[in-house]
Amino acid sequence: MDNSQRVQPVEPVIKFALLEDVLNLARANSLWPMTFGLACCAIEMMAAGASRFDLDRFGAGVFRPSPRQSDLMIVAGTISKKMAPAIQMLWDQMPNPKWCIAMGNCAISGGPFEYDGQYAIVPGAHLLVPVDIFVPGCPPRPEGLIQGFLALEDKITKGEDRNILRRFHRKGGNS
Amino acid sequence: MAEQLREPVVDQIYSLNLGPQHPSTHGVLRVLLDLDGEFIIKADPIIGYGHRGHEKMGENRTYKQFMPNSSRMDYLSGMLFNHGFALAVEKLSGIEVPERAKYIRTICAEMNRISSHLLWFGTYVMDLGGFTPFLYAFDDREQILDILDSVSGSRLTYSYCRFGGVCKDVGTDFVDRTRAFVKRLLSRFPDYHNLVTKNIIFIHRTRGVGVVTQEQARQFGVTGPNLRATGIEYDVRKAEPYEIYDRFDFNVPVGSKGDALDRYNVRLEEMVQSCRIIEQALDQMPKGDYHNESAAFKVRPPKGEVYFAVESARGQTGYYLVSDGSAFPYRCHIRVPSFGNLHVLTDVLKGTLVADAISILGSIDVVIPEIDR
Amino acid sequence: MAKKDDILQKLREMLAEDAIRMDEAYKAGVAFSAQVPLDKVRDVAAAFKDGGFYLESVTVLDFQDTVELVYHMNAHEPKSRVSFRALCGHDQPAPTVSDIFATAEWQEREIHEFFGNPFTGNTDLRRLLLPEDADYYPLKKTFGKVHAYVKREEIYG
Repeated sequence: MDNSQRVQPVEPVIKFALLEDVLNLARANSLWPMTFGLACCAIEMMAAGASRFDLDRFGAGVFRPSPRQSDLMIVAGTISKKMAPAIQMLWDQMPNPKWCIAMGNCAISGGPFEYDGQYAIVPGAHLLVPVDIFVPGCPPRPEGLIQGFLALEDKITKGEDRNILRRFHRKGGNS
Repeated sequence: MAEQLREPVVDQIYSLNLGPQHPSTHGVLRVLLDLDGEFIIKADPIIGYGHRGHEKMGENRTYKQFMPNSSRMDYLSGMLFNHGFALAVEKLSGIEVPERAKYIRTICAEMNRISSHLLWFGTYVMDLGGFTPFLYAFDDREQILDILDSVSGSRLTYSYCRFGGVCKDVGTDFVDRTRAFVKRLLSRFPDYHNLVTKNIIFIHRTRGVGVVTQEQARQFGVTGPNLRATGIEYDVRKAEPYEIYDRFDFNVPVGSKGDALDRYNVRLEEMVQSCRIIEQALDQMPKGDYHNESAAFKVRPPKGEVYFAVESARGQTGYYLVSDGSAFPYRCHIRVPSFGNLHVLTDVLKGTLVADAISILGSIDVVIPEIDR
Repeated sequence: MAKKDDILQKLREMLAEDAIRMDEAYKAGVAFSAQVPLDKVRDVAAAFKDGGFYLESVTVLDFQDTVELVYHMNAHEPKSRVSFRALCGHDQPAPTVSDIFATAEWQEREIHEFFGNPFTGNTDLRRLLLPEDADYYPLKKTFGKVHAYVKREEIYG
């Protein structure tokens, strides 16, 4: 995956200090995802929101259909070239602060559809929107998506370097 | 209900986009509606937002490498699509399948059909506004996914079938768990009927809504439960019995009016019939080989073509493979059921209300990545 | 008499002697397959419609020397699938059957956008699956990565 091509997130203009920590705690525990299932991963996202793997206990069970009312976009599924402008428009329509989880191998790097000669897909959501958490799998189990949520909550409350997954990476690396 | 609708006034047409990001469009479907108030004058489905190039990939992948692709087309009937592809290549190459493998594949295929219908049931009633059956349906579905996970390793997009059998044998725990599951599911149906089928709001939203006539079904190539709801009794499992479906005793439920309520009843009854097939298959399953490995080691079918049709959860799926003698198909065309099922909506949605359009879209049970291939 | 026997009778009258290839054993998934000249495609399709068949799928095979349109028809009866095929040139217009079978409208759109053959008489040839501004024909064997590009006789003899 080419890091130089990643879309960089927009930095906020006003920064609070202690208030920011309290706000981040509130934001992390009530992430409202947007229903954005494109392909197979959408079904596992629905299963994560259903009765067995209940996302509601993390405050994230309220899937909003409108981008104006949500603060998390889960790109679940393959991004085709026809759909890419719609994804960018939806991301722009979401109000700040907003986050993005790329769920599934297709949203990370094109997945099983990326081969030399593929003409129809965009190989990775990071080429369109700034992605915070990548959840691998084809499709990832709902528990995997929940781990992604927890990693995102960690990232929101404790900062870029301190989420659950990154704790296992060495600091100063380029991942 | 259609007689009470007034004639639309045509000089105030408003174009509205339904989708591609919409909670009820079941994937990335965009329908361009021309509206007169709440009445739809013209509905133009715009698809292709999930196009991943499966047919071009089919020419660039060997037969063995295409198996994961086949289950990602219609991901809700992944096992049925796998099964169909394996059968098509076996017919083209003349590979024999051991008896036990045939039974295993049939049982897994029928369980996949039940899980697909359960998901449809949950999401359809959720589209109409009832959230509770969704949770019940997914609970039952999780049981199926656990069983299929234990044999194939995957919950949703299985690549379990191999040419000449299946990739892993099943043990006695599979048989016991499946029997227990079937018993539990059959005991849940009274709940579903009490909660949904007898619900007056549900009946009002589905009776007489979205009537598909037999002539429309024939014109647009509608297959599957949508076709059977119009009254035509055609099921590929009975018309062209493949694998071992001719050994089982099961009924094909047929509707009469072709409206959304008929489609709902047909699908619920199909689940019961699938349970019957599974029980019979579990009783008859012999011991033996699960994979004819030596025959399928090098899959280079002789020159020629085959068109193999199976009954997937949404209708008739046809695999049209043309082989030039090499390990790569020359042409791999998949005829998907949702293509015709969605196309008929250009005719059916005329003159309906927007709220009814949601109900009709849900009752047709389309999976868009299957159309977009 | 089954529908496929009726239509076989009619096709034998309409077409040349050796145009119909029977496949009793249903080996290729069809009961018989008819080779039809391009200008007779509409007449054959109308005969199928009168015989109570429906159009299951239309697809195209891209060979080096020709392009073959393959129509699969089916009736709602056991083992009734039949197919008829027509040869035409690369990018050559073909007659439409979308006024006979409504499903052909979308199937022909898909063929046009993937292979380039326009269909005369099909009023709506917009892009179906590809983006509206796509100017390439992906499933042609001259596009992208291809493993084999042979003449028709190498496969069908």
